[in-house]
Amino acid sequence: MSVYISSTGHFLPGPAVSNDEMESVLGFVHGKPSRLRRRILQSNGIQSRHYAIDAQHRTLFSNSQMAAKAAEDCLANSFIGKPQLTMLSAATSQGDLVLPGFGSMVQAELQLADVELHTCHGICSSSMMALKAAYTALLAGEHSTAMVVASELTSRLFKARRYEVAGAELDFNAEFLRWMLSDGAGALLLESRPRAGSFRIDWIRSFSHADAYPVCMSVGQAPNENRSWQDYPSYAEAETAGALLLRQDVRVLDAIVKLGVDGYLRLIAQGLIQPDEIDHVLCHYSSHYFKSKIFDMMQQAGVGLAEDKWYSNLYHRGNTGCASIFIMLDEFRRTQSYQPGDTILCMVPESGRFNTAYMQLTVMDAY
Amino acid sequence: MSEQITTEMAQQGLQALMRVWFDFERQLGRVPLLQRLQRGQFSIDDYQKLLLHWRQQVIEGSRWISRCASSFDRHYSDVRSAIIGHARDEHRDYEMLEQDFVAAGGELVVMHAASRANNIGSEALHGFIMYRASQPNPVDLVGAMWIIEGLGQKMASSWAGQIEQATGCDSSCTRFMRYHGSQDEHHMQELYQLLDRVCNNAEQLAAIVRTAKVVARLYCLQLEEVEHG
Repeated sequence: MSVYISSTGHFLPGPAVSNDEMESVLGFVHGKPSRLRRRILQSNGIQSRHYAIDAQHRTLFSNSQMAAKAAEDCLANSFIGKPQLTMLSAATSQGDLVLPGFGSMVQAELQLADVELHTCHGICSSSMMALKAAYTALLAGEHSTAMVVASELTSRLFKARRYEVAGAELDFNAEFLRWMLSDGAGALLLESRPRAGSFRIDWIRSFSHADAYPVCMSVGQAPNENRSWQDYPSYAEAETAGALLLRQDVRVLDAIVKLGVDGYLRLIAQGLIQPDEIDHVLCHYSSHYFKSKIFDMMQQAGVGLAEDKWYSNLYHRGNTGCASIFIMLDEFRRTQSYQPGDTILCMVPESGRFNTAYMQLTVMDAY
Repeated sequence: MSEQITTEMAQQGLQALMRVWFDFERQLGRVPLLQRLQRGQFSIDDYQKLLLHWRQQVIEGSRWISRCASSFDRHYSDVRSAIIGHARDEHRDYEMLEQDFVAAGGELVVMHAASRANNIGSEALHGFIMYRASQPNPVDLVGAMWIIEGLGQKMASSWAGQIEQATGCDSSCTRFMRYHGSQDEHHMQELYQLLDRVCNNAEQLAAIVRTAKVVARLYCLQLEEVEHG
């Protein structure tokens, strides 16, 4: 039994927003331009992105609406319709509501009847976890179709007012992701039968290292505080304390590159990855982070991945958190050239508390 | 010796050593003292204690590397030359560490009175490495150098800055830690050369990886014991 990705879809809200336009959408904190914006953008290399909010901070598309639009785009490119879908697996880092699960809201939006539902909560790797749940459900023979959708609406966390309410000074860790993340959704259709040009899932594996590393990317805790946002007497006090800002602890960020390589080497040792046989590499990360010493080391160790094999649309579609890898795979599938039998390696190293996910795909015949 | 890794056996050796290193970093992430350093809850007393315990390791380090060099026979005279060079470069590093200790408010008499036996991790690490270094042609010690070199880079690239930030002391207190980072590129090249030279068969590869793992584990033990000694 094999499982295939037989269709893909995406949704990116509104027009592309350039580096120079983004602050006028997100807003000037205390009316002043950011002093870090240029530096952070230079380091992440992103040139344009999309936002589901406008400059008046009205939400034009909710997170579940974006997810539904990506799923509909995916279905429109497929051989099946909504009635044939029996499973929905959805991922996001933050739904529109705290409860119920994001999947329920997406299902309602999509008007899907009677599906088995799975909601996956996490950061960038949650899409891969949602995909794995659907993949294993098909492998177990319990379903023959599943829609997997990942969506992010992080711009709501970046409105200028959020930072103003949380106090005077903006620290680097709180501002880092403001110039990194943006909105969008991606969807994959899984089927237990191959279609022309579908991608077979060879395996999905992940390794989590939360036991050995501190939290690196978070919402819900103020700096130097052990309390959760829910432990404050009122939610307003949590916000004032800065507990609701999205933060990245940049000091520990470099661990993610090492752990990404660590997982890659484990999979080589397990015989799942043969570096010479990889034709395309899709990685949810700004590629220049990887042009570091460790990649020289990988070359020395004979397991380097040639630069011309790497594909990314991160620089133009933005870093959309867990949706990124699906949006990347969708655009790769529609715009890049590949041959039946080609092997695609997808990698999602997540810095939340260090979970690294990997997937290998094989391009099927056109029939 | 080649400047690059040229053989498949040495490439496999490097892959395995990279994994040992990543695992070692995770082990370090579980050491309470280093967890506190990570959180910024690390005092000048903690730093003094760390240096006090580290000193013995640095002193012994210059001894085992000399012993290691003398255990290579004439078939490995090129390796011996490389290791003698290394020993010469580093055998008085502990003096820099002592100056850091004083700059951080420590008293030299206290440091000189300290003994290796205060830290059972140092005791075990020293015992193991000296035993290996005394074997004929101890090629497996490349595994030990891999861990110790990596640790030097980690001290320079993250610990030194974190210590300065947490304790409020300036870079005059962290010269030993920072010095190691400045030698990065050069030392990495040397390690690649050595690995390419001495990792020639499956047996040597296994020995190198095993020694790297043991040294990593004992280093962690030494760091855990800093707070017990």
